[in-house]
Amino acid sequence: MPLSLSAGRSLLGMLVGLGLFALAVDQASARTLDTAYGEVEVRDQPERVVTLYEGALDTALAVGVTPLAAVSTRGSDGVASYLQDQAGDIAVVGTAREINIESVVAQRPDVILAAPRLPEEQYQLLSRIAPTLVPASEPYQPDTWKEEARFFAQALGREAQVEDTIAKVEQRAAELSEQHPQASASLVRWMPQGALVMSEAIFSNTLLSASGFVVSDGDVVKQGRPHSDPLSLENLSRIDSDWLFLATLNNEGDEALASAKSSPAFARLDVVERGQVVPVDGQLWTSASGPLAAEAILDDIEKAQR
Amino acid sequence: MCQAGEARRPLPLMFVWLSACLAAVCFLSLLFGAGEIGPGASLSSLLGMREGAAQHAEEAAFVIHELRLPRTMLGLVVGMALGVAGALLQAVARNPLAEPGLLGVSAGSAFAVAIALMLGASAATLRVSVAQLGALGGCLCVLAAARMRGVGNDPVRLVLAGAVLSGLLGALTSMILLVDQRTADEIRFWIVGSLAGRHLEDLQAILPSLALAGVITLLIGRPLAALALGERVAVGLGHHPRLVRLLAIGVVALLVGATTAVAGPIAFVGLVVPFAARALAGPDIRRTLWLCLPLGPLVVIGADIVSRLVVQPSELPLGVLTALIGAPVLILVVRSQRLPTL
Repeated sequence: MPLSLSAGRSLLGMLVGLGLFALAVDQASARTLDTAYGEVEVRDQPERVVTLYEGALDTALAVGVTPLAAVSTRGSDGVASYLQDQAGDIAVVGTAREINIESVVAQRPDVILAAPRLPEEQYQLLSRIAPTLVPASEPYQPDTWKEEARFFAQALGREAQVEDTIAKVEQRAAELSEQHPQASASLVRWMPQGALVMSEAIFSNTLLSASGFVVSDGDVVKQGRPHSDPLSLENLSRIDSDWLFLATLNNEGDEALASAKSSPAFARLDVVERGQVVPVDGQLWTSASGPLAAEAILDDIEKAQR
Repeated sequence: MCQAGEARRPLPLMFVWLSACLAAVCFLSLLFGAGEIGPGASLSSLLGMREGAAQHAEEAAFVIHELRLPRTMLGLVVGMALGVAGALLQAVARNPLAEPGLLGVSAGSAFAVAIALMLGASAATLRVSVAQLGALGGCLCVLAAARMRGVGNDPVRLVLAGAVLSGLLGALTSMILLVDQRTADEIRFWIVGSLAGRHLEDLQAILPSLALAGVITLLIGRPLAALALGERVAVGLGHHPRLVRLLAIGVVALLVGATTAVAGPIAFVGLVVPFAARALAGPDIRRTLWLCLPLGPLVVIGADIVSRLVVQPSELPLGVLTALIGAPVLILVVRSQRLPTL
């Protein structure tokens, strides 16, 4: 990231940011949010929104706000494919790991919606461009995504809309959970040397739980980590659940399934023999979060049941 | 380590001894794994004893025959190929630090495969030839560097040149990862080598080129030994140094490319194995090559066993472990007072 190069530009950004900030205060309809870095004031109904977190982009689109810019999703140089239609030709200002500060400045944002656990250094830099909102949510909890969605919606002044969408997701998950009581499920990414098992606590797995699955990571994921190291092929039976969701970073899910099946250790799993392996989009299932992602994941779950 | 004076033990005896050790390690490799099938259960399964539930016995048989046996066989082939390739490269570069992994030959091979993967190739056979072409490119770079003034006669500088090449190719491979993240998982395998999860068909695909490499090695053993006495001596004995060197480089490319194609880049084996073989057999390249055959798999399979046991239920990539073993040896070689010129 061109941090050092952008000192001059960020000074410019600071001036622009201060100008906009002053404008916001002028309107006297500001609101105050509790963020991970203390209280931050934002103007009501911000118009120029930049999201630096996939969950923030998702929430914004869900409540009817189209941000100017966002970060790319994992394994792609654009936003996640399930959001592409709604996001339109949104500007990309970096990846989740490397934000291009200059591009953010160029968007002249009113507000920046950032990822939880944004490093302090970056926060200092970004908050000179515009009020930067970092959710204080605790990671890897069943309700983390709802908390974050409410936080971002509050920043955008759309509390009512977000409650609607969350309620819709909850209701749909509850309906799904009646269809398959207590089936076990695991979510993995496949590599030739073995499987990466995704944590029980990541977003998509909390939705699987909410829709009645008993999600298991085979006790191989360390606390607070998103996924395990590649599981030894000798231990694949730990992911032999009723349902196995196989996340791939490309759209050729069937190809990934075929490549996994070419491994004798994978092919002999009961779940494979029963044909209950479901290839799913890794961008959606292992990178995204938010109400729209929840809808899309529930779509996948429902499709798998049929 | 043995002193040079001790190195006159009869070669056949040492060869048999090392082969016996290798057989023992292969056996251990069938017994130990990262899974729940421990050495006891493995042993009874190997001996044909049906112990406990039928399902359990079936699981043990599967793990041994379908998972541990293939990777042990792969380890045998990869170890031999890398050991021999290292010894040859060192003889040609006249440098005890010349090692496919250190000098960028493996990196060249892995980079070629990464490009092929990005362009959409997936066939195993294609991968082998692509990897070999990449290895050949890496070899030629090494040779060019070795012939540069001031680099060739200073082993450490050659390694520096190799490190630059490796770094460059590694950076380019990472760039492919950035440009085309869709194949990220596939390519990640080409950054650190591993024996796990490879198919025996892959092994079959590389056997022809390994056989060819073996035949050529047998033919150039004597001229290489003569070359070690000096270019003029070799010419006087009726050899063609340039041709011999070229053939040896070809063999290294065949061997390194083949192993990279099936197991990814595995560093330092080509350094450690010839180093140990020379310590046992003395400076004659023919004796060294013979001992590399059992020593190479000994190191590779031994490291592979450790890689399964340290981070259960996951496994460490083999390339990480060989680097852990190899780096101290590298330092030892560099720091030893008499850095032999080969």
